[in-house]
Amino acid sequence: MIKTFIQLEILKRSRSTSFARSLAIGIFLGFMALLLMGYLLLIGIGMKYIIEEFFSPKNTAEFLNTYLIYFFLFEIIYRYFVQQLPVFSLENFLHLPIPKSGIIHYLLISSFISPLSIIPLLLFGPFAYLEIAPSYGLIASWVWLGSVLLTSWSIHWFMLWFKQRFEDSFVVILVLFAVILLGSGSAYFGWFDIGAFFEPVFTFALEHAVPVVLLALVMVCSYFLCFAFYRQNAYLEDIGEEDPFHSGAASLGFLSKFGMAGEMANLEWKLILRHKKSRTYLTLCFFFLLYGLIFYVNPAYVSQDGFSYLFIFVGMFITGIFMLQYGQLFLSWNSASFDFFLHQRRGLEALVKGKYLLFAGVSVVCFLLSIPYAYFGWDILWIHLATFLFNMGITVHLVIYLALWKPKPMDLNKGAMFNYEGVGIAQFLMIIPMMAAPYVVFLPVAYLGGDYAGLIALGVIGLLGMIAYPKLSDISVQKVLNNRYEISSSFRQEL
Amino acid sequence: MIEVKSLKKIYKDTTVLDIPFLTIPKSECFGLVGNNGAGKTTFFRIMLDLVRATEGNVYVDGEDVGHSENWKSKVGAFLDEHMLLSYLTPDEYFQALRKIYRLSKEDLDIHLERFRDLFNDEILGKKKFIRDLSKGNIKKVGIAAAMLGNPEAVLLDEPFENLDPSSQIRLKKLILQEKEANQVTFLISSHDLNHVTEICDRIVLLEKGLIIKDLEDKSRMTEELNSYFNVL
Repeated sequence: MIKTFIQLEILKRSRSTSFARSLAIGIFLGFMALLLMGYLLLIGIGMKYIIEEFFSPKNTAEFLNTYLIYFFLFEIIYRYFVQQLPVFSLENFLHLPIPKSGIIHYLLISSFISPLSIIPLLLFGPFAYLEIAPSYGLIASWVWLGSVLLTSWSIHWFMLWFKQRFEDSFVVILVLFAVILLGSGSAYFGWFDIGAFFEPVFTFALEHAVPVVLLALVMVCSYFLCFAFYRQNAYLEDIGEEDPFHSGAASLGFLSKFGMAGEMANLEWKLILRHKKSRTYLTLCFFFLLYGLIFYVNPAYVSQDGFSYLFIFVGMFITGIFMLQYGQLFLSWNSASFDFFLHQRRGLEALVKGKYLLFAGVSVVCFLLSIPYAYFGWDILWIHLATFLFNMGITVHLVIYLALWKPKPMDLNKGAMFNYEGVGIAQFLMIIPMMAAPYVVFLPVAYLGGDYAGLIALGVIGLLGMIAYPKLSDISVQKVLNNRYEISSSFRQEL
Repeated sequence: MIEVKSLKKIYKDTTVLDIPFLTIPKSECFGLVGNNGAGKTTFFRIMLDLVRATEGNVYVDGEDVGHSENWKSKVGAFLDEHMLLSYLTPDEYFQALRKIYRLSKEDLDIHLERFRDLFNDEILGKKKFIRDLSKGNIKKVGIAAAMLGNPEAVLLDEPFENLDPSSQIRLKKLILQEKEANQVTFLISSHDLNHVTEICDRIVLLEKGLIIKDLEDKSRMTEELNSYFNVL
């Protein structure tokens, strides 16, 4: 059975109409993953020496134990964003005589086969071997490493459950925010030391096998929590919760002033509010508004003269996250009704321009909401202004142009359960080239004329992009028009 | 064969299905008719445990569909394209099903042989993926898949829709044949009154989720249905 599933999965991927795109992304991702894992392994090997060199604590292992909790808190956050349940079309199999539990086990276990699962092994494996084994004995090193791995794997199952259970609800933002605050707040403001609180668990593991047994139990429990939840909800319909936005989604009246494109933007706004998946992107926007809190309050990034160049990156995210994220699936959002737009007079042009309008609108709102960051220094306001202009003038065109490369169809009406199309690590990595763009402008100018000249350059280029909007947007419109037959047939093909 | 007890499906505050009691005996050809939104597809989906019932249960041979899964090998179904793997060719799809149902190659060949007329040389041995087939041909693939593995009951949603007239006649013949030879129970929903009255022993009329007519007298069926559906 498992063999059949795997074979089918391979066929599905290789026959997808967007195979070339997925393959390119896959190769790029694989390459990045190998590179990152190599670095992690290096850090793992060097960890013993780094700790001894910079902190020279009495006991290296116990010192590391106090900081392990921060690693796990960080793990919760990156797992939330990166971890992906394999997309599996449940409805193709539900009516067949295959046990549901078998399908779910397959699904969950295949989610486990991922580079994320061996990150702690790469990081802490060498440490266990190089530091713990000589001083505490080989068995102790295995027990310690086992405890660390089991904790990480429990987080894996727990996050799978958490992500699906609270998807698109405010709880997610609250919890993630609490985790960030707990991590950074307690460390930097010294409210309380959670590291010291959790340290005994792992120190105990150096001498005893009890923690590893307990943590193994925790992992099994978290797996079955996850399993039970997915098994119970293996239905075609969504989990029976009221959809607060379903009926009364307000239309944005002022958009109608922009003619046909405005109408399209209005339609798109309704599309966003009425589908769970697109709403997640909007919520993400607000989450990233808080993103600045991590960086701007962090003493490591505050310098005496000028500002950290990293803030440009933060500013890009805060003012442009919506276009970066939502824009990547540019036409996919409309894949179900693409023929509708094709059928209208000048419909495609209006669709593309409507999206521009919407992205601009959301960016403006994000920029306005981010003004209170001026509290941490006027520099931040200028950075936001410059990156905002750059986003409006340049990034938006870049994102849309790249997104038009073989758009993938997406079924928005499919239940959100088991449906992870378009949400995952690929989306985050596609951002990287986009993030490089402002630095291409900023760094040379800042080098020659100072930081503020760099900001002005960003802003001016952004403004120029905005002035050239009719020309630049026309490129995208033409691209859609030229490929319209291919796009619509690929959208129609994949059921 | 199939038993429904105090079944209800409620979305928010609208009841879309409310069937207090219904039994479908073995080898009956059960027709389900009703206007759009009457609850036909929802009823089928609940029977297949694809959607949860708000209240009540469906039993297949005394087995609650929500609580066990053994019944799945006894019931075949084709409701819509989502039940197929559209990225496979029909041949590959049947092969995949063959493995799931644990049939031999010969079993599959014998099974597909029965569909030779219906397929009309347009399905097997072609290199087209299911997603590229016409709607009618997709339907044929789905129906053949639903009947695979000698099920005791087969659920078909609008089987005649999108089929050309000769295929419709062939399908009717095939259904009657299966019923005679293997005692298969058929549950068919359709808007085509002529076809259902012709092949079904019993027709149930749904309106807004309620059974408002349960017709077993073949001679009166056409008349009763016409009087219901005739609007002026």
